[in-house]
Amino acid sequence: MDIVTARNLVFEYIRRDDDGNVEGIEKALDDVSLDIPEGSFVGILGANGSGKSTFAKHLNALLVPGDGTLWVDGMDTNDNDLLLKIRQTAGMVFQNPDNQIIATMVEEDVAFGPENMGVPREEMEERVEKSLSAVHMKDFREASPNRLSGGQKQRVAIAGVLAMEPKCIVLDEPTAMLDPIGRREVLSAVRELNEKKGITVILITHYMEEVTKADILFVMQKGKLVMQGPPREIFSRVEELERYGLTVPQVTALSYALRKGGIRLPEGILTREELVEELLKTGRLGLGMAPSVRKREAVNRKDAPFCINFQNVEYRYQPGTEMEVVALENVNLSIREGEFVAIIGHTGSGKSTLIQLMNGLNKPTSGEVYYQGVDISSKDYDRRTLRTKVGLVFQYPEYQLFESTVFKDVCFGPKNQGLDEKSAGRRAIAALQAVKFPEEHYYDSPFELSGGQKRRVAIAGVLAMEPEVLILDEPTAGLDPKGREEILSMVAELHEKKNQTVILVSHSMEDVARYAERLIVMMDGGILYDDVPGEVFKMADELEQHGLSAPEVTYVCRALSESSGLVLPELPTTVEEAAQAILERIRPC
Amino acid sequence: MLKDITLGQYYPTDSVIHRLDPRVKLAAVLIFLITLFAFQGPVAMGVCAAFLIFVIVLTRIPFSFMIRGLRLILVILIITALMNLFFTNGEHILWSYGVLKISIEGIKMACLMVFRLIFLILGTSILTLTTTPNQLTEGMEKGLRWLSYIGVPIHEIAMMMSIALRFIPILTEETDKIMRAQMARGADFETGGLIKRAKAMIPLLVPLFVSAFRRANDLALAMEARCYHGGRGRTKLKPLIYQKRDFISYFVLLGYVTAVIAASVWWKSR
Repeated sequence: MDIVTARNLVFEYIRRDDDGNVEGIEKALDDVSLDIPEGSFVGILGANGSGKSTFAKHLNALLVPGDGTLWVDGMDTNDNDLLLKIRQTAGMVFQNPDNQIIATMVEEDVAFGPENMGVPREEMEERVEKSLSAVHMKDFREASPNRLSGGQKQRVAIAGVLAMEPKCIVLDEPTAMLDPIGRREVLSAVRELNEKKGITVILITHYMEEVTKADILFVMQKGKLVMQGPPREIFSRVEELERYGLTVPQVTALSYALRKGGIRLPEGILTREELVEELLKTGRLGLGMAPSVRKREAVNRKDAPFCINFQNVEYRYQPGTEMEVVALENVNLSIREGEFVAIIGHTGSGKSTLIQLMNGLNKPTSGEVYYQGVDISSKDYDRRTLRTKVGLVFQYPEYQLFESTVFKDVCFGPKNQGLDEKSAGRRAIAALQAVKFPEEHYYDSPFELSGGQKRRVAIAGVLAMEPEVLILDEPTAGLDPKGREEILSMVAELHEKKNQTVILVSHSMEDVARYAERLIVMMDGGILYDDVPGEVFKMADELEQHGLSAPEVTYVCRALSESSGLVLPELPTTVEEAAQAILERIRPC
Repeated sequence: MLKDITLGQYYPTDSVIHRLDPRVKLAAVLIFLITLFAFQGPVAMGVCAAFLIFVIVLTRIPFSFMIRGLRLILVILIITALMNLFFTNGEHILWSYGVLKISIEGIKMACLMVFRLIFLILGTSILTLTTTPNQLTEGMEKGLRWLSYIGVPIHEIAMMMSIALRFIPILTEETDKIMRAQMARGADFETGGLIKRAKAMIPLLVPLFVSAFRRANDLALAMEARCYHGGRGRTKLKPLIYQKRDFISYFVLLGYVTAVIAASVWWKSR
């Protein structure tokens, strides 16, 4: 029995100019036909603007097809009389945890759906209770949503849908705004619902790792359904996926690279256990040749001058009140000019406080912060100028755009520095070029750009001040795989070509391993590790105890060296390193 | 300074007043305010004061905490007192200097107004100190439901109020975030004249509005997705149902009103 049946769905967004004339038509859905069996776990993948979200909104009858038909549990979504029944059958969870919680108390929010359906009170109690236990949030029944973490909020949102007793849950990028722990919480809750209660799950995501265990994957591109099949099959078509702006899970990428290197491996390997087993089966792994020097050369910056120094820094929020919170404690840290440093840690570990201390937005409660040897919390220090030297790109920086054109917005920083119109303009153009923003959109409104383009403009807004240090707080959050890649390689280029000092806050160990020279792991307001990534990832077990992890390929290599005696001088941390290390140690047939 | 504002703040403790149905409390405040201004004379004021003290004791909120709210209106209190003291026209003039004169009536009037203001603030802060904003909204929705028969969209107003309550802390946090982000781009919110400062708010306000609209849009979708279709046919997880204590309170309230009227009538007929 299929819970969702779509036949030749078409949906068009019509753009009109100020006079109501049609300016352009964009086909968000273009002849989409698909079937989703009841009780399955389905993943929908696609770049931004591929039509995934539009499709999701159709499942909930928030949008109705312009052409074609969509049946949800046998009900035609075009039938207005069935509207509430359909929304009850296919519940929906959205991306932003804050914007979908309606009530000021968890239990009242969970009850919102049933209240609308007119469920009697006694039954409602029961439903709220059951739904909250299903997502393991029973203890937070009377909590205020504002006090919950992102992952917890999303689980409340899921409970809110569950309380309507749906047959199917549609989740539109539910993990995009969460940290790794939140992501795991949400995913395991969703998987449990699917396995234990047989609820159909339709998960839209940009993280490939989240859908490796799905029953079916659908890939969309420009409104069209371009691929469908089980994960194993979809992820074996690496090049095709790349064409659609998508990636494959890291393990799959590694096995793909190894196959290209001549090792005979089956297609579409998804888990590290699988890959290790298959590699051992080849029987060709061995001590092989002596390992050649392969590691990325560690950059020696011992002679570079220090730019940022922290000495016994402590930071408390609202000191002296009942709500006092210690955000940072006993932090000692030096960063040299030209370094590419990554900072990793959970939400609440003190990362954001740390970077705002670097540019003087926060003042240490005790201890000192020095910039180029000068104490920045001293009374007569010009912190406004410091902020232009230590450029900080906040999380979701596109939310700060405010001017009427892209160009003007980027000029805001340089003008605040006191530059005249002309030199500010010159800086702006240089910055826009550095972020590879297309020239034909310089004078467009920043609000009409796509998410990835907006982010570039916002980063350019900080670059235009020509900062000596560039700090980026999760610059890739919420972007699709291609967008993530583009932003990161742009930052890497700035670092390489202009010797820009870069401090990157990230949740992704994979990204950090690829780009950073040095990795700082934050934990509970202190520094847990501060070393080159390869060394930090040797502590994979310790990292895991703290809810963090090493890159997937590191685990694969570690398992290989443990079970086959493969000698690795250093644990590889990126796909390229891992592929090279393994290929070098394969005996020729 | 901000922590001095007790008006509109909830004081979480368990008392019989806290547990009362919000409709009772709304009605009580309304009646209290009416009696406060409709009836005169020291005896009536005394009854008001006695009733107020009786309720304050029942709330179990420390008296010192409650009068903290008065500090904010101290200036207003002083001005009111002085105005009444010096500008009331009375027969028994005790002292005068130009247009300023102090009369017995003036002293009485000043006392009356100051007491009225103090009682007004205390009375309304008891309501907000013992009732969560949510309960208030619900009390309003149910207590004023009859207004919907004459076309007042009372459910919608209540829904809007409760959503506003949910989003105030979120938007406050967001304001702080945007402010910091613009400061990181060299923006200056702290120096300069009035016009310069007003101009400096643009980079803060535009993103804030854009974000508020985006959130509103998202929230509307999320509400629709969860079958929201207005107030019709809606049930409640925690419906307001009158308990025994609520009926008792209404009787107490009735007793209070009778006492005030009696006191006022007696004072006049004296």
